[in-house]
Amino acid sequence: MRFLPAAALILSLTATTATADVADAVEQEILPGTAAFAEGAEALKAQADANCLPNVELQEAWNDAFDGWMGISHLRFGPLEVDGRVNAIAFWPDKKGFTPRMLGQMVADADEIVDQPDEFHELSVAARGLFALEYLLYDDQFAGYEADSYTCRLVQAISTDLARMAEEIDQEWRDEAAPALLSAGEAGNTTYLDRDEAVRVLYTSLLSGLEFTADSRLGRPLGTFDRPRASRAEARRSGRSLRNVTLSLEALQGLARALMAPEEMPQSEAAFASVFEAIEAVETPDLSQVDETSGRLKVEIVQQRVQLLRRTVEGEVGGHFGLSAGFNSADGD
Amino acid sequence: MIPRRAFLAAMAASALTPRLSWADAGSPAFLAFAKEPDGQHALFGIDVMGHDVFRVPMPGRGHAGAAHPVAPEAVGFARRPGTFARVIDCANGRVLTELHSPEGRHFMGHGSFLQGGDILATLENDYISTRGKIGLWSRSQGYKRVGEIETHGVGPHEALQMADGTLVVANGGIQTDPRVEDGRGKLNLPTMQPSLAYITPEGELLEQVFLDPDLHLNSIRHLAMTGDGLVGFAMQWQGDTMDGVPLLGLHRRGWAEAKLAEAPLGEQLAMNGYAGSVALSGDGRYFGITSPRGGRLHIFDHGANFVAVHRRPDICGLAAGPEGFLATDGLGGVWHATAEEFQPFTRAERAWDNHVVTL
Repeated sequence: MRFLPAAALILSLTATTATADVADAVEQEILPGTAAFAEGAEALKAQADANCLPNVELQEAWNDAFDGWMGISHLRFGPLEVDGRVNAIAFWPDKKGFTPRMLGQMVADADEIVDQPDEFHELSVAARGLFALEYLLYDDQFAGYEADSYTCRLVQAISTDLARMAEEIDQEWRDEAAPALLSAGEAGNTTYLDRDEAVRVLYTSLLSGLEFTADSRLGRPLGTFDRPRASRAEARRSGRSLRNVTLSLEALQGLARALMAPEEMPQSEAAFASVFEAIEAVETPDLSQVDETSGRLKVEIVQQRVQLLRRTVEGEVGGHFGLSAGFNSADGD
Repeated sequence: MIPRRAFLAAMAASALTPRLSWADAGSPAFLAFAKEPDGQHALFGIDVMGHDVFRVPMPGRGHAGAAHPVAPEAVGFARRPGTFARVIDCANGRVLTELHSPEGRHFMGHGSFLQGGDILATLENDYISTRGKIGLWSRSQGYKRVGEIETHGVGPHEALQMADGTLVVANGGIQTDPRVEDGRGKLNLPTMQPSLAYITPEGELLEQVFLDPDLHLNSIRHLAMTGDGLVGFAMQWQGDTMDGVPLLGLHRRGWAEAKLAEAPLGEQLAMNGYAGSVALSGDGRYFGITSPRGGRLHIFDHGANFVAVHRRPDICGLAAGPEGFLATDGLGGVWHATAEEFQPFTRAERAWDNHVVTL
């Protein structure tokens, strides 16, 4: 009789013996990250307000805001989780094509919600955030709009909504989420009932971030060998698919280092370096090379190295803190 | 089906047996399995505030338990595809007996007492015929297997008995075989067809509800029910987690189709296509579903409207509390949840397993 699944055997609940530097992670990585995103989103809003046409200046501002988002997008707990913000900021993958469909509908109807900033957040997440803007600024279906057009106002409304969310996230991180992490286990803290839980939530973000990059950012365009899907790459219209992979990994590396400090993580560092090296060999910023065999191979190598990196981090960082995947989330029924 | 004579004899016998009650086991309000820091598994009885009342060691990981309505007896089922269940006297921790599934069968991790507690119904996979079965065992005859009925579907996971005796069964739809990938391999995803089946205790199909064809990958796993027969069923999506499909369905006998409940898109996506448990709130007003993979408890009203979300990593166990819900998580937390609030009751160094059973 086989009664114990392997996944359950690796679970460890032993109290954290190593002291993780949650404070380092919060002060050196997370708070500067939320501030940078808020600043980038505010600059994007200012640029859109000044000139909402899809010109280079606006595209640059949009890219800066997206860069800021990549610094914190893996922190899928606390402020990023409120009001469905993660998806409202970055609705991807959009398997059913909700975003272009909803935007097309809004443009066709000249939906008045663009003039009601207080109600814009009630709009479906698919028509908001960075990916809605990417369609409007880069896709042929939308990007030919004129200065006094409905689409121009829509770009401003989405940018305003994005800047508001980014500002709220930054504020809530400073006022609530950071203090909660730093006081984990203290009386009255009902978010983190134990110090271990603060370490765990950061560690989970680290692993999920690596998983998302391997499975979605790289896995979706890779598809299968017989059927690669270049059109499924993240942010391919703006050609920043590969950049997102790099920026996300850099942010995760920073988080891992901060958590481990003052200890070092030589195995994980080597695994990160090997991923960055493999990324150097990829030639297409939008990953479109997955469509031909040798190009696909280079992207696949990146994916394999991210998967190896994930296992290395699990062993080294997870092992250091005695943490592993959640009991129920890893093995339900 | 249960031979009528055996059934009557069983009823008579149970009526005559003066026995211990749950008070003798410390009057727990809930039962739940957990894994302890040293790797040991145990069944816990906990009170309404989440405090331990008793602890019985278990030989391995359980899934859910069935609690006898009167006597302090719990049946702990091995996880799918386990072939045994253990009947435990919760007053003293003794194992009263073990149930073994017949050849070519395994338990599905859930079961429940019927007919006031004399018949134990166990959900089973008949992996030779690939048909779902419910095994019937007589408590008064020392948990002897006295019959079995069809669930009219593949991969039945849980069943509840309604006030009129009708059984409502969650047929998950997924074909598995313990000889293939340790029984966790899914063998029929392209053609799977989950259903909610209403059957008589004799196994006659009264009514069956299927999902829309484009939701056929939504495995119907767990059930909760109001006193007047509104059934809430929780589902586990076998497609892409970014499909953001509904994970809770509501159905009442006679409805042509189920009413599906979903949160606003962003919040729905965060469930990661997976509901681990479903329960009715203590006041009967709401259904809750948990997603350990999304770290969320979603609460809906009877009209399938989204009411609230509470966030907690690895939350899974969910049961009706005196008010609202009682929830458990893999970090050892026991929580009090209502539409308005979410507060910790207790936290212990253990990982609570998938389910909580209300006594």
